[in-house]
Amino acid sequence: MDNRKKSSLEFRGLLYVLPVIVVLAVLDFYPIFESIYFSFTDFNSLHFFRYGFVGLANYAYIFASSDLRTVILNTVIWSVGSTAVMVPAGFALAMIMNQKKLRGKYFYRTVYLFPWAFPAFITILIWSNMLAYNGGVINEILNAIGLRSLDWLTSPHYAMLSLILVNFWLSFPYYTYVYTSAVQSIPHELYEAAEMDGYGSLSTLTKITVPLLKRQIAFITIFGFIFTWNNFYVPFLLTGGGPGISTQILITYSYLQAFSYSNYALGAAYAVISILILLVFVIVSNHYTKMMSILY
Amino acid sequence: MENSNIVKSGKKTFTEEQDIFRMNTHFKRLRLLKRIISHIVLIVFALFAIFPIYYVVITSLNSIGSLANATLADLLPSARLSLANYYSILFHHPFLLWMKNTLILTASSTVIGVALSISSGLALSRFRIPAKRALLYMLLILSLFPFTMMVIPFYFMFSEFHLLDTYIGLIIPYSAGAVIYSSYLIKNYVDNIPKDYEEAAQMDGLSRNSALFRILIPMARPVIVFAAVIAFMGPYTDYALAGQFITSKGLYTLAIGMYYVSQGTIVINYGTYAAFSVLMGIPIFILFFVFQKYLVSGFSLSTYK
Repeated sequence: MDNRKKSSLEFRGLLYVLPVIVVLAVLDFYPIFESIYFSFTDFNSLHFFRYGFVGLANYAYIFASSDLRTVILNTVIWSVGSTAVMVPAGFALAMIMNQKKLRGKYFYRTVYLFPWAFPAFITILIWSNMLAYNGGVINEILNAIGLRSLDWLTSPHYAMLSLILVNFWLSFPYYTYVYTSAVQSIPHELYEAAEMDGYGSLSTLTKITVPLLKRQIAFITIFGFIFTWNNFYVPFLLTGGGPGISTQILITYSYLQAFSYSNYALGAAYAVISILILLVFVIVSNHYTKMMSILY
Repeated sequence: MENSNIVKSGKKTFTEEQDIFRMNTHFKRLRLLKRIISHIVLIVFALFAIFPIYYVVITSLNSIGSLANATLADLLPSARLSLANYYSILFHHPFLLWMKNTLILTASSTVIGVALSISSGLALSRFRIPAKRALLYMLLILSLFPFTMMVIPFYFMFSEFHLLDTYIGLIIPYSAGAVIYSSYLIKNYVDNIPKDYEEAAQMDGLSRNSALFRILIPMARPVIVFAAVIAFMGPYTDYALAGQFITSKGLYTLAIGMYYVSQGTIVINYGTYAAFSVLMGIPIFILFFVFQKYLVSGFSLSTYK
């Protein structure tokens, strides 16, 4: 009936992928290339209808400005800071809940669904009210226990910290679930054998769980980092990049340039810079962890 | 002699028992301590997870004019709780219109996006497609690109076709947005389903294609549901695109409405704003809890590869 030589390719299979390829070509590749092209033009509200090619002028302008360094540094602090707390916390909670005979694990797991299940767009705005200087519940609590109010969102010292805190709240459930699912894919027999051999919890963790999940851990961490790098709404809704540009990350800064200052070319150039950094990061991290191999 | 022997061995077993007993209590104490610490950590995180949701629900039931007037006492249930804020947001503000617009956009784009992803996900898993590895890498690289980068080109593309400020102008990019991640998820999941089932169906006379779709789609239900929930969530709360595309008030979505309320462009009192948040969140919230069991099984990253 069908020819099952290992080497034979099935062009028929392309038919099923074709709609997605068309969608990606028209709605992803075309806009991406157009965006890259915009970054080499003087496209802004002044040259709306007759913009022209200006070569690397936008990039030269960006590299000469001091904003670039600040924004890249912010993006790195934001991504590294968030990943460094949310991924290990998710892992730790998954391990704690994976204990045999732990009472109430389904209760805890259900409660942890709350931050994930409530749309982030809304909860970010709820947090922005909770962290408000006047009337914000966090400051009210601080006052009640005798501490003074903090400028959570409006001082350059705490703004980034607040962003990471809120992002932590938003993301730790996701990582708890992902690691729970990963650790459940390890056969029970291995754990039973470990128990028979007298392994304690720590040696089970370091000798069985972590080695078996090495690639998943790398994959989850790296994609967590990438997702955070591109996470637009937390800074956009909480601080709008402020005060000044102290919490402006590449992606929000690109949006700001394009839509608040109508400088589309500059916005596009910032987006291109962001992508280039990410691409280098992915290639380098894949070289060391081989995490992509879990994809095929 | 005999007597002393008995006494000796008796003594010996006694100390052995004591040792085992001591070790047992030591381990038991250690285990108990581990349990206690586990529960403390889990409870702290549970409180952290739940507090903001509790905060917004209790605020929505109180009558607080503005954020600056809020006090800690408002956090406790009191006799003054009422549903007045809900009445106000439902009947004095265009909440229901925004909800209708949002549901039209999200439902259609979820259906289109997930249908496309099922087709491509199954094919990527089961067929030896030419350049498959390149395709997978392409999907992966595309997922690095932030959607905000597409906003400007989309804007000009859709204005050319006069699709700005219409449902279709948003449904198209939203459907495309869901495709990358969903194709991936479905492909990954189907990879772990043994081929025996389809092969058995083919033996029974089904063609390869119908074997694939009729057997694998029901089996992949957890991941399809998971992909649909994720695909639904994006457009439901999108402001970055909708905020630029939609200009007529009749087409506002919940996210646009909420953004303008949060920026003070649309003025409503604080309790009503909280009620708005709760009502907007509830559909997604219910969706998540109904499909909770699929969330763990749906996200399968295969271990042994």
